Amino acid sequence: MAVQGIWNGTIGFSLVAIPVRVVTAVVPGHVSFHLLHSKDYSRLERKMYCPADERMVTPEEIIRGYEVLPGKYIPLTDEELESVSPERSRTIEIIEFIDMKDVDPIYYDHPYYLVPSKGGEKAYQLLAEVMARTKKAGLAKFVLAEREHLVAITSKDGALALTTLHYSDEVLPDGEMSPAKGAAESGEVARMKKSIENMMKDFDPGKYADGRRKKIMDLLEAKVKEKALVDAPAMTEKEEEGPADLVAALEESMRKVKVKEGR
Amino acid sequence: MSRTYVEIAGRSLPLSNLEKDLYPSYGFTKAAILEYYRRIAPFILPHLQGRALTLKRYPGGVEKEFFFEKRCPAHRPAWVSTAEVVHHNGEPMMMCVVSDLETLLWAGNLAALELHVPLSRAGSPQTPDSLVFDLDPGDGAGIPECTRVALILRDLLFQMGLASYVKTSGQKGLHVLVPLNSKDTTFDDTKTFSRAVAGIMERHYPDLVTSKMAKNERIGKVFINWSQNDASKTMICVYSLRAREKPFVSFPLEWKELEDLDGQGDRESLQVVHSEAVRRAEAKGDLFREVLVKEQKLPHL
Repeated sequence: MAVQGIWNGTIGFSLVAIPVRVVTAVVPGHVSFHLLHSKDYSRLERKMYCPADERMVTPEEIIRGYEVLPGKYIPLTDEELESVSPERSRTIEIIEFIDMKDVDPIYYDHPYYLVPSKGGEKAYQLLAEVMARTKKAGLAKFVLAEREHLVAITSKDGALALTTLHYSDEVLPDGEMSPAKGAAESGEVARMKKSIENMMKDFDPGKYADGRRKKIMDLLEAKVKEKALVDAPAMTEKEEEGPADLVAALEESMRKVKVKEGR
Repeated sequence: MSRTYVEIAGRSLPLSNLEKDLYPSYGFTKAAILEYYRRIAPFILPHLQGRALTLKRYPGGVEKEFFFEKRCPAHRPAWVSTAEVVHHNGEPMMMCVVSDLETLLWAGNLAALELHVPLSRAGSPQTPDSLVFDLDPGDGAGIPECTRVALILRDLLFQMGLASYVKTSGQKGLHVLVPLNSKDTTFDDTKTFSRAVAGIMERHYPDLVTSKMAKNERIGKVFINWSQNDASKTMICVYSLRAREKPFVSFPLEWKELEDLDGQGDRESLQVVHSEAVRRAEAKGDLFREVLVKEQKLPHL
């Protein structure tokens, strides 16, 4: 299966640099829908509305504001945001090796695979194997979509996997989650331990499926049989082209340009 | 920090860190940058004159962080001209206006390598004196595609009765400017016109041109960014240096240079580096003079 990469570059540390591409490891299983107009099934678009002006605003009129207090903002331009965005980078540089079991699963964000690019296969295999043997994970920084992520590189069935990690300040403190400590009675502890042991199984994710997703897919299948698909109305070129006179004059000029240049 | 004072027109200008290399992979010190701006001053000053300047400062050089400075620094010498400009949020703000050599060098001394200005003058912020098409090649497109789009655009504008002028952006693309210099033209007009032109170009050359901002729409194509025709936007000033690995300049070209490329050329084909910029400007004069004076009216609006 040829998988489309979402990023191309090299992974490395000290003197090693292996060309790889990053592919996503998980496709979330929810069923997605488009929003349609009930009257004629045309696809609806999102527009931004200014309640003060009582009108829709165009993208050029939109800037970002950081809310400091209710209704008080610090406005930021795209240029200012760009000035603090990390440079696009073509490398995933491993900065240290760690034990993956030291990483609390609460830090796991999104899983990806690393696939070797042309010429990188041998070095890739070597790294995957050594990492599997030593059971270590590489900690690296990785710029994706204008954000710098902390990532863990692990070896998984002969391949390298990459998991983006949350930054520590994104993880909420759990101090208030656990109730105040009380002494557990030893009989209770033993009984609960026993019931847990009785329910022990090996983890088999294949046994479980998203029930709602399955029901929706069944429903869609049933509906397709009972009723034909509906069509969205054909759209006339409705992108704002400009005043009709101007567009006509431009079309005429373009025709002349093409004739003259034989383009 | 080393400090040197120079006298210009009876004004004393302190210059600092002249030996600092701001383009380390090329080797171009602050002294060389100031020398570039001194030599190019006769050509760039008319294009900066009267416009609110946005400084793009690289205090640690082109490989380090930069920041945009719109507000004219409070520590400016008393002789630096300013203009009061109303910002997005409705607040008035003092911005620098470069009208003489000493202010240009003062900005250069702040490591403001890139000088960005709006298409309108500070005194009439809603009146653009030119219209711009910012041609930005996406991934997989380059100078050949960009050149081709620029030439088609020139011909189309010519058929519409409009003369246009081209400069390198100093980065990857080209800027095509249509001088207007009429106080009746508004940004609404230039936006309507440029958007319609970008739309026509996209419809007739769908494999070559896109008018969509989205990055994935741009792959292998040239993005005609018409949205620069806005009072709140700034463009790199002609003759300004760019903060690239080499000191490339946003430099005016003759259309013939684009024709001669004939769809060929690599990434650096049209790039003009500082020394060549000075040499060519001194030999040929300001190829962008017409942009400041030629009066044209957008048809069918």
